Formats: sequence, C-alpha cells, structure tokens
Amino acid sequence: MIEIEGITKRYDATTVVDDVSMIIEPRTIAVIVGTSGSGKTTLLRMINRLVEPTAGVIKLDGADNRSLPGYELRRSIGYAIQGHGLFPHRTVAQNIATVPVLLGWDKARIKARVDELMTLYQLDPEAFGPRYPHELSGGQQQRVGVARALAAEPNVLLMDEPFGALDPIIRTKAQEDLLAIQKRFGTTIILVTHDMEEAVHMGDKIAVMDAGKLVQYAKPAEILANPASAFVETLVGASERPFRLLSLGRVRDAVEKGSAEGEAIPGDASQRDALAELLWSGRPALPVKGADGKPLGRVTVDGLVKRAARPA
Amino acid sequence: MKAWLPSLLRLALVVLLIAFVTNPDWFEPLLKPLTENNAPVIYNQGSLLTLTLLHLRIVLIATVAATIVAVALAILVTRPAGVEFLPLSRSLVNIGQTFPPVAVLALAVPAVGFGEKPTLIALFLYGLLPIFENALTGLTTLPANVMEAARGAGMTGWQRLTKVELPLSAPIILGGIRLSVVISLATATIGSTVAAKTLGEVIIAGLLSNNLAFILQGGLIVAALAVLIYDGLSSVERYTARRMGREAE
Repeated sequence: MIEIEGITKRYDATTVVDDVSMIIEPRTIAVIVGTSGSGKTTLLRMINRLVEPTAGVIKLDGADNRSLPGYELRRSIGYAIQGHGLFPHRTVAQNIATVPVLLGWDKARIKARVDELMTLYQLDPEAFGPRYPHELSGGQQQRVGVARALAAEPNVLLMDEPFGALDPIIRTKAQEDLLAIQKRFGTTIILVTHDMEEAVHMGDKIAVMDAGKLVQYAKPAEILANPASAFVETLVGASERPFRLLSLGRVRDAVEKGSAEGEAIPGDASQRDALAELLWSGRPALPVKGADGKPLGRVTVDGLVKRAARPA
Repeated sequence: MKAWLPSLLRLALVVLLIAFVTNPDWFEPLLKPLTENNAPVIYNQGSLLTLTLLHLRIVLIATVAATIVAVALAILVTRPAGVEFLPLSRSLVNIGQTFPPVAVLALAVPAVGFGEKPTLIALFLYGLLPIFENALTGLTTLPANVMEAARGAGMTGWQRLTKVELPLSAPIILGGIRLSVVISLATATIGSTVAAKTLGEVIIAGLLSNNLAFILQGGLIVAALAVLIYDGLSSVERYTARRMGREAE
C-alpha cells in the first residue's frame, strides 16, 4: 500500500505539486493522468525520491520512504521511463540484471531471473541476451526496459509514460503484456500518462491532476460518469465518453438470453469491441461464446446502447 | 579506394619508420644530396632509436599525467558539489594553453633546472586543455533518460560515474587524448633547447650546422610517429564508440 499524505513540491515560487493526498491499494494499478506541466511526473518521482518533497509524507507499506537512503529505496522500487533509457554499452541481459547486481544477488539467481523475464517477454534469452540495445526494435527495447524495472521483484513499479514512444499496434500489445504481468506478480503499479484511453484501459483507479492539484481520484467508471470538474470532463472527451464506458465492461456481463447468427465473440472481449462489430456488420445481435467455446447467449445493439448511457 | 589500401600504407609506414630508426645507414644515399662539404648525413651524436624512445617516453608520461588531472578535474566540476569550480578550472586550464611552450620552458628552467623536467611541465600544461574540454563535453552530454534510469535503478553517485558516465564518455575523452598526444609529439622537439633528450636534438643540430639532412630526418620521424599514433588512437576511438552504442551519432 502506498499512502501519499499532503505532498507538496515547490521550486522557488512555483508550486509544482500542491498538497496531494491519495492511497494506492496493493496489487492494483493507479494511473495518474494530466496535461504536461500538471505535476504528474514530479508526483511519481517523489515516491522513489528522485525528487524530494517540500512538505508531506509518502509511506510504503506503512514505512516512511525517507527511512532508507535514496539509492536503497530506489533499488526496491521498479522504475520504467519513456524511451526506456537502456544502457547502450551493456547487453540486454546486463541491462535487465542492473538492480539484482546492485543488490549483490549471486550469479545463478541473476541468470535465472533474467531468463525468466526475457521468456515472459517473448525474447529468447540465448538470442537476445548478448545483444546490445541499439540492435533491438523499439518494441523490444521497451520490453527490456520494463523487464529491467521488474528484475529485482519489486512490490511497487513506477512507470513514466512507458508506452509513449511506441506505435499504436505495439503499444496495445505492450499494455496487454503489462496487465498480464501485473496479474502474475501482483505488483502495485503507478503509471503516469497523458492518454485518457490508456488510463481507462489500464487503471483500477485514475488520478486526474491539473496545475499541481489532484482534481479527482476514483475508479474509471466513476470518472467517466461523474467528472469532478470541467477540466476532467474535457480530458475524458465528451464525444468519447460512452465508448470508454463500454470499453470498461466485458461482453460476458452484457449477455442476454437467446441466440444469434454468425461468428461468435468471446466473452472476454470488451463491450466496446462487441458494439463496434455489431455496427460494422449491420447486425442487431451477436452470439457470445465462453473461454471453452460454449455459447453463452447473445449481445444486442439495444442492450449495449443502454449500457453506454450515463449511469444514474 | 580499395579497403586494404589504407592498411597497406600504414604497414609500409611502420616498416619504414622502424627500418629508419634502427638502421639509418641504409638511407644514407637518399639523404646524401642534402648535405654540403662532406658533412655527416646521418645524425652521429646519439642513436636515433634511443632518441625516438626517449621522445615517446616523455610524451607518454606527460599525456598520462595530463589525462589523470584533466579527467579528475572534469569529474569534479560535473558533480553537484563542484559545479561552482567549473569557471575556475576552465580558466586554469586555458592559462596552460595561452602560454607559448617556449615561455613555459623559459620559466620552468630556473625553477627545476635543465633537462626533461621543464619539458614535461610544458607538455603537461599543453595536454590538459583538449582532454579537459572533451571530458567535460562527454560528461555533460550524456543521454538524459539513461542517466535518469541509472538514478532510478538505485545506483549511487560513484556507481553512476564508474558504470555509466565514464564508459559512455570514453570515446569523447579518447578524442581529447588523441589531440593532446599529437600536440605533445610536436611540442616535445622544442624541449631539446633546454637539453631534454628528444628528437628535437637532431633538428636543432641540423639547424646549427646548416645540415638539411639532419633537419629532415628529425622532422620526418616525428611526423611519422604523429601520423601513426593519430591513426591508431582514431581506430581505438571508433571501436570504443561502437562498443558504447554511440555509433549512430
């Protein structure tokens, strides 16, 4: 659990982060959204003390983050940044092993962990381990960057626009990979982005920041349904709202009794994808199948449209 | 040009240089037309080989010392605690460059006497600036997100310096050392005016006795050394740059 209590950061006369308090539950993903200059990156960097706050306390599992020297604290917290920041003079395997080496793990344990992470990220340890970062594609570099951040099995992972430099297709894949890995390791993730789409997709909770202040901190559905201010409403994007709301729900939860013609859609797909498929193919209903391939029922345009309406 | 041609030229120059300093007599017929009144063709007051080795030694000592001091200074002024010394150390090093080497020699002789010492001092002061400037450039132009990642991974200041900053700026620092060595190779000849044993001795002897052959053989050996060392260090530099992943720049 991460408790942020009354955190303020001032540089001379400018207040970059203004009295922010929030609690991030363990094993969840909190996404901090805001425009550039909103203080979201500074807030993130105060958690691992790359920036020291002017006032306030941050507690990690109850312990003040100033109870350790900064560098020791940072070894216990994963940190992934935009443009990955891989060490160009070290191989992929050496890059991933950075924090375990600093922590003095023995060689066998480091190798096992590096191999595990590379396999998890679909990078063959034999083929990619000895390569240098500039020999990899952008998507591969990004994966190595996240693998490096996760190498020492941190409970907390901080990510500063980790997908910012990726093209849309690789980006979606990287987001899915991260969600899968978060489930697997149970890591608490705090992710900074300026992309509301990403925030709604990834976050268990979303924190919206504007001019250093925390404007709203709530579940995605709540942010979409009841934006706390005009700023949040703009950020959400009025024309995108119903679709973002649908993207939060799974098809499984919108199933109605009955059957329909045509190719079935998996129950895990988002309701937004189902609606898109319905609209595109011009059909009023789609059959739904479970993970085992058994039919679950159907989704209808009418049913989905009702779900896209503003919650009462 | 064919790819093997530069290597062949380099090899030829090395062979020629070694042959010349070890067996200068072989080349006597070539240089003979440059002398008058039956003056000696090949320098006869010391072996060319010994002078070449002494010349290289003096350059080596001065460059190593200059490298250590210049890189240490550059590291110091790029740490948060040392930033205020940046202007001071810059001007100190610049002073080393504004003094003509002859003036440094003239000032150093009364203090440390004749011989190698004043020459070492002059070469050391002369070598500082290019290395310092390059080290400074290297250490201040590191990619920002790599430095951020190094801090974020929990490296201490010392670990960042030795594991990230110095390796990544190595190619640029090497460039400074290369410039410094070439300047020193040429400047060391002046050291012979204050009795340092360098190849300058041959040139000065030639000037005094109006012997063009002496001047030419002293000058050519220094020039060949400079070309070869410059070339060698350039390829070391290219190799390091590739290793440090900076080749794309």
